[in-house]
Amino acid sequence: MTPVLELRDLRAGYGGIDVIHGIDLRIVSGEVVALLGPNGAGKTTTLATISGQISPSGGTVSLMGHNVNGARPDRLARAGVCLVPEGRGVFPNLTVRENLIMSTYTGVSIASIEERAYELFPRLGERRGQTAGTLSGGEQQMLAMSRAMTTDPALLLLDELSMGLAPMIVAELYERVGELAQKGLSILIVEQFAQAVLGVADRAVVMVNGEIRTVGAPAEVSRQLAEAYLGG
Amino acid sequence: MKLSPANYAAIALTVAGAIALSALNWSGRPVSVATVGSMLVVGVTLGSIYAVSASGLVVVYTTTGVFNFAQGAMGMYWAFVYWELRFNRNWPAPIAIGLVVLVMAPLGGVVLDRLVMRRLRGTPLVLQLMVTVGLMLGFMGLAATQWKGDRGRNAQPFFGRTGGFELLGVNVTWHRFTTICVAVLLAVLLRLLLHRSRIGVAMRAVVDSRSLTSLTGANPEIISGLAWALGSSLAAVAGILIAPESGLVVELLTLVVVDAFAAAAVGRLRSFPLTFLGAMVLGIGQQFIRSFLDFPGGFSNADRALPTILLFVVVLALPQAKLHIRGTAAAASTRIRRITPLSDAALGGLALIVVIVSWSGGLVPFVDEWTGTGVNRGVTMMITAIIMLSLVPLTGWAGQVNFAPLAFAGFGAVMFLKVAGDSGQAWGLVMAALLTAPVGALMALPAVRLQGLYLALASMAFARGFELLFFTQSSVIDSGAGERIASLHFAGWQLDGRGRGYLIFLTIVFAAGVVGLIALKRSRYGRRWMAIHDSEAAAATLGISLVETKVIVFGISAAIAGFGGALFGIQQATLNPSQFTLLLGLPIVLLLVVGGVAYPAAALFGGVNTILFIVIKERLGWSWLSALEILGPGLMAVAMVVNTRGAVTDMGRAFSPLLPWRHDARDQFRLEHATEREDEVGELGLGRPFTRDHVNDLDRQLGIVDLIPASRPTESRGGL
Ligand SMILES: Nc1ncnc2c1ncn2[C@@H]1O[C@H](COP(=O)(O)OP(=O)(O)OP(=O)(O)O)[C@@H](O)[C@H]1O
Ligand SMILES: [Mg+2]
Repeated sequence: MTPVLELRDLRAGYGGIDVIHGIDLRIVSGEVVALLGPNGAGKTTTLATISGQISPSGGTVSLMGHNVNGARPDRLARAGVCLVPEGRGVFPNLTVRENLIMSTYTGVSIASIEERAYELFPRLGERRGQTAGTLSGGEQQMLAMSRAMTTDPALLLLDELSMGLAPMIVAELYERVGELAQKGLSILIVEQFAQAVLGVADRAVVMVNGEIRTVGAPAEVSRQLAEAYLGG
Repeated sequence: MKLSPANYAAIALTVAGAIALSALNWSGRPVSVATVGSMLVVGVTLGSIYAVSASGLVVVYTTTGVFNFAQGAMGMYWAFVYWELRFNRNWPAPIAIGLVVLVMAPLGGVVLDRLVMRRLRGTPLVLQLMVTVGLMLGFMGLAATQWKGDRGRNAQPFFGRTGGFELLGVNVTWHRFTTICVAVLLAVLLRLLLHRSRIGVAMRAVVDSRSLTSLTGANPEIISGLAWALGSSLAAVAGILIAPESGLVVELLTLVVVDAFAAAAVGRLRSFPLTFLGAMVLGIGQQFIRSFLDFPGGFSNADRALPTILLFVVVLALPQAKLHIRGTAAAASTRIRRITPLSDAALGGLALIVVIVSWSGGLVPFVDEWTGTGVNRGVTMMITAIIMLSLVPLTGWAGQVNFAPLAFAGFGAVMFLKVAGDSGQAWGLVMAALLTAPVGALMALPAVRLQGLYLALASMAFARGFELLFFTQSSVIDSGAGERIASLHFAGWQLDGRGRGYLIFLTIVFAAGVVGLIALKRSRYGRRWMAIHDSEAAAATLGISLVETKVIVFGISAAIAGFGGALFGIQQATLNPSQFTLLLGLPIVLLLVVGGVAYPAAALFGGVNTILFIVIKERLGWSWLSALEILGPGLMAVAMVVNTRGAVTDMGRAFSPLLPWRHDARDQFRLEHATEREDEVGELGLGRPFTRDHVNDLDRQLGIVDLIPASRPTESRGGL
């Protein structure tokens, strides 16, 4: 089976300096992979490269077997790559509804996006006219997630969904991610700690200093990580 | 919009002031249905003109995040193009309009985005201001080059000058009716476009976050291009509608939109309904003044000054938090890398004096031959350089944008005329400087509240206010009376304002000024300026008083400009109000910034360029160069998108390693050529390293260990 995403010896960085040094990764259809690692490991850079925001300086990114090195991020987005970026992935000066309108560039109608988003996150429905910048952190993350949930992407990239959120909300968000996975979506989740993704990930990959160190079952990797941090 | 009690107080005060002024200057013309009706009809038409112009500004700001100072000049340019097609080539109006508004203007906007605006992304605000002001001059110069002189240009209104319908006893021409309809229609359509249509929402989204926009699948490059196309098109609509009313004159048409800034500010650059309201207040207010008030002599410009006054008040009174200020005033491009030692400044000054003395003495014959009337040109150059020098501490070091240096200079010239005009005594120069300082301090008061764009707007309003209300007073400049300023008496010498002695005097003054400024900058006090430039908040937490610091730097700047203005008065011998306009002041600011606003040497660069444009124009005599003195600075400022550091920086960097005592320059040169990591240093927000310790520090932070030896052997420095 052709993997949905395949990275081969991928290198990328900023201003001519590589921060990821040749990583290999395959995600097949319906698989949920957790990419873990300490601050500055290069996780965000990896996602930026996959989503087309950074061109690789070496190696290849393939989607469904097609080499997409150097493709523009908006083209990849329309082709089904959905990145929910680190921090708040919303337009702060646009209203909730206007944020949802922006999701229609993927080709899904606004009616269907609104219907599904408000059903998944009723709190957004109540605040559709409010500017996104004034939403609470959790609500903003729900809004950011609703782009992923309503536009039927083929590959979902999530960057530190849990950052700065209460455990309750994180649990709720990951429950939604779990539902997506069940529908057969391929998902790459970036988190610093393994606990958050134990329930959803099929596989965990640990990245340190721009290289992949460990690959394994999430529970096992989580145990190793805990030891490493504590022993550290 | 939430208004604080202070805002309400400010509004109440303004209204009360307006009422008091009206009562004092009431003309006594009858108030009847006919007169009020006519005031309203004409006022609403005027207001519509402002509304059309201001909505262009608002659209461009909301969809690109750039406040486009060139909006008016673009509208002016497209109005000229329309006039050329319609009346010079007799094309049918619908085709000419369609071609200009729907094809040429949008294409122009796209080209502008590709060539200029795209590169402004993420640059410091100061650069954005200068580049768009440069564009303004560029378009003005372009139009003046393409359509020379005022050869009986006549822009006919739509549907003829007569005709129309009667309303409240006033004939509303079809053209004016069209203008009103277009204004209303635009206010409604643009709101719908930006809030209801997907492309409009996307335009606003791009301003919020470019990268997130591309992640949603929209192409930000195309969206920005469309936004500029729309902005340019709206400018064209405004220009074409206004031209028959204001006359097809480059400056007049451009200034109508400068006047519309006030309306856009009422809408806080975002809201169409409020902008529309502001435009109507402007239009009706102006017509009210014309209909019912009579201001005495020097204030007869009150109606024309109203937009300026409104802009000033609005910028000061509106809630600041809502005034969305993008970027920071702290320009990375003006960051100081190395604090020049006094000895270097003195040496440079001496070198300059030697050059000027030998040149003006005819020792460099070729230059003199080529430049024609050499000495007087030299005088103009040095005076311009001195006025530019006033902006170095203010804008370059303290980061305060000021588009009004010529207002200060004019004030200084007037003061010199008053205190020492007859005698030409040199102490009059000092007096002129001292008397101008408080005016600068006055300008500092808005600066305490405002930063970046809003300070720039306030200073423009300030300059225009001086132009329209101060210099026009017969008690200030009595152009009719033929008051003459005597030549300068200095230490027993009598220096003619166009002579060699005066030029040498000016050169010495400039050199002394540079050394003095460098000394100030090196002082503990000077550090405060750089501190508020870097971060006002951080400076305040260090216990630096923002009010005091700003008042003093504005005062010093105004004093220098006033001094320069007095010197200008001596050269000119007579003064008139048209010497000190807002528009004439803009090239001064731009050329200095092009040189590199943080460096006194840039003032010299600016002075040289000022006369260079004049000389080139004269020597070559090519007719297409006729507007070079505005086109040149405009284009140079626009070119700053490519070299944001300013010209003298590069000159200095290339030149200084050659000086035997500049080890630091050679080290820096080597460092930059030895390592690729330079950019990253910039991204850490630390600027470029400028001392050995800084370099070592940064290297530690970045983990560069062995690129350069940790410490240079000290004896090689001491050896020279
Ligand atoms: N825009 C940038 N320019 C230069 N270097 C960058 C840039 N963004 C990230 N880096 C560097 O690249 C390295 C990897 O950063 P990245 O953001 O990918 O880490 P991360 O694993 O996502 O860390 P975190 O868990 O803190 O988000 C870091 O050393 C960082 O300093
Ligand atoms: Mg990250």
